[in-house]
Amino acid sequence: MKLVHKIIILTSIAFLLNGCVKKEILDDINLIEAIGFDYAGEGMTSGTILYPIYQPDQPPENKTLTAKALIKKSILQDIQLQSANPIVTGSMEAVLFAKELASKDGVLELIDAFQRDPGVGSGLYLAVVDGEARELMEGNYGVRGNATFISNLLENNIDNEDLPKTNLQKFLFSYYQEGQTPFMPQLKKISDEKIELNGICFFKHGKVVETINPDQMFFFRLLVDKYSNGLHRVQTKDGEAAIRSIRSTHNFDLSQHSPLEITVKIKVQGIVNEYTGNEVRPDQIKLLEKAFTEEIKEQSTKLVEIFKEKQIDPVGFGHFVKTRTRNYDLSKWLESDLQNLTVKVVPHVMITEAGVIE
Amino acid sequence: MSISIPENKKISPFLVFFVVQKMQFGIGILGFQRIIAKNAGHDAWISIILVGIGVHIVLWALFKMLETVNGDMISIHTFVFGKIVSKIFGIFFILYYLLLTVTVIRTYVEIIQVWMFTDLATFWFSLVLLSVVVYIIFGGFRTVTGMAFFGIVLPFYVFALFLFTLPYAEFNNLLPILDHSISDILLGSKNMSLTVLGFESLLIFYPFIKDPKKSKKWAHLAVFSTTMICLYLAILTFAYFPENQLQKNIWPTLTMWKIIMMPFVERFEYIGIANWCLIILPNASIALWCSSRIVKRLFSIKQRTTVPILAIICLIATSFLFTRKQVNLLSDMVGQVGFYLNFIYFPLLLVATLIAKKVKKNEVGS
Repeated sequence: MKLVHKIIILTSIAFLLNGCVKKEILDDINLIEAIGFDYAGEGMTSGTILYPIYQPDQPPENKTLTAKALIKKSILQDIQLQSANPIVTGSMEAVLFAKELASKDGVLELIDAFQRDPGVGSGLYLAVVDGEARELMEGNYGVRGNATFISNLLENNIDNEDLPKTNLQKFLFSYYQEGQTPFMPQLKKISDEKIELNGICFFKHGKVVETINPDQMFFFRLLVDKYSNGLHRVQTKDGEAAIRSIRSTHNFDLSQHSPLEITVKIKVQGIVNEYTGNEVRPDQIKLLEKAFTEEIKEQSTKLVEIFKEKQIDPVGFGHFVKTRTRNYDLSKWLESDLQNLTVKVVPHVMITEAGVIE
Repeated sequence: MSISIPENKKISPFLVFFVVQKMQFGIGILGFQRIIAKNAGHDAWISIILVGIGVHIVLWALFKMLETVNGDMISIHTFVFGKIVSKIFGIFFILYYLLLTVTVIRTYVEIIQVWMFTDLATFWFSLVLLSVVVYIIFGGFRTVTGMAFFGIVLPFYVFALFLFTLPYAEFNNLLPILDHSISDILLGSKNMSLTVLGFESLLIFYPFIKDPKKSKKWAHLAVFSTTMICLYLAILTFAYFPENQLQKNIWPTLTMWKIIMMPFVERFEYIGIANWCLIILPNASIALWCSSRIVKRLFSIKQRTTVPILAIICLIATSFLFTRKQVNLLSDMVGQVGFYLNFIYFPLLLVATLIAKKVKKNEVGS
């Protein structure tokens, strides 16, 4: 065959194949950045999507669309009825659940759709909204659009503050892991321009059963994350100090089999950020360390008591016991074995620096 | 008995590494973790090691047979069973390699359909893939080997990408070791067979190797590297997914990529899947080449005529598989056949070959 013939055939094949799949041009689709779900009465769920409209030289305009549906998966189709362009889930950053919905109906059915959709990444943030998800999404936060604001808010708090690592994969991991229950951060709209991270919600069978406040988040993170950081205020008789934990690690040890006892060794390395007393002397640091140690111990034990009472296990003690015990049966973990478990917290605090002021 | 292949069509011994590894390493790697964990749970990595050892033994048996008759699979069968029976076995192997080609292509198309383009037509895409495959085979076995080389070297970087899952990995998941019974672990090994299958193509391209004695270590190295890659992937997977979640994911390898987020590319799977085309292309080429080669050996028909015909058969078969269930059934079937072929039939064949050799020697002697 002559070269010319070959070229003709190849070009015609290229043209033929062009029409094979559906094209998606960025300007002609609605890229959802966040989606929120609200409770809308008996068995009904209402969903709100948030998508940005980009304009030249301006911050993106936040647009929302809302629809109600009985079958949760059909919400997107119902929203589609209001949308001029096809809705695409490819760049979703956050999924929000109203607390009412999360406590009454649960979130599992809704999350299944995101787990199934190949276009949705596992790094997606999930959060519970204290109040209405729709209301929160209709605000105007920051110059980069609402969804980016929410995901940056969470990311920042994970990287630098007290929020334990969380995203879709983390949620699914602890949901599917035997002997562990999942959690989500909780957001609250303060004003039209402000959102606040105001706690962590714990789930059991996909429903919120307990919420802790931001003060307890620091201690929860020490228990649940292998490496954590964060800021905490410690009070001694001489004054108050803000201690930033630079690197904290924890170590679990199954110290006793029957009855079960887990020793959690927590190591906190921190620096003093702020001090209201007169001087930070070595003996003051000793006092601070001691006070902090006491507080970690007390607060963590309190958290464990809460978990026992609510029959949840967000730390994954059950999974830990299973990894250390052959043929361990976890089927009655939350109801009975967790209740008999003793968790001994042994913190060790080391304050290394006190800033540039002596 | 020995078949003479012109020197300029033979491949260097070290290239055997690429052909063998390429043939083992293809579509199975995307979903093997779930299948092996079905029985053996998080202990399934032991199954991988067991399979690895098994493959080394079978590979040794293959080389032993090939050295005895100094030919290929057809020569072995003729040597042991005679001409007519060897033809029947030959036809079976033609079908087997055709089935392998179909599985590879159909599974790949399915992945594109599920992950990227829902409305991609199976027929058109398979047509394009198979035309490329036919074109490669027209270049002869050396071109096929060349493709195998690129199919390993170019997409090799993807393995580093799995390390992105490390921040989410919980290596505790692997404990306690040996929490499952031995029989469960062995069942896991059996399920592993589709993944490591394909090294038996050595039986067909053996006459194409220059200095086959030297190729032995390369073939074993290839098998070893496949085992290591599978082990690496399996351990990362078991650390990343709890057992129940793993069972929900059809392609855990791809799901793991969903965690990767880079500033310049939102979803990495798209690049990964596109790249996978390079991995499966030589795979399909080798399988189809093997099939046409057997046709040539049995009926002395030129490969140039058989390859397009076989490709059309594959195309038709590929287009008739519509649902996940059918695709699954096909890959299960190939896995089963491959398992019995590799781990039961070939060792028995070796015994038969050795007996036949002894008998024939005695006849000559007496």
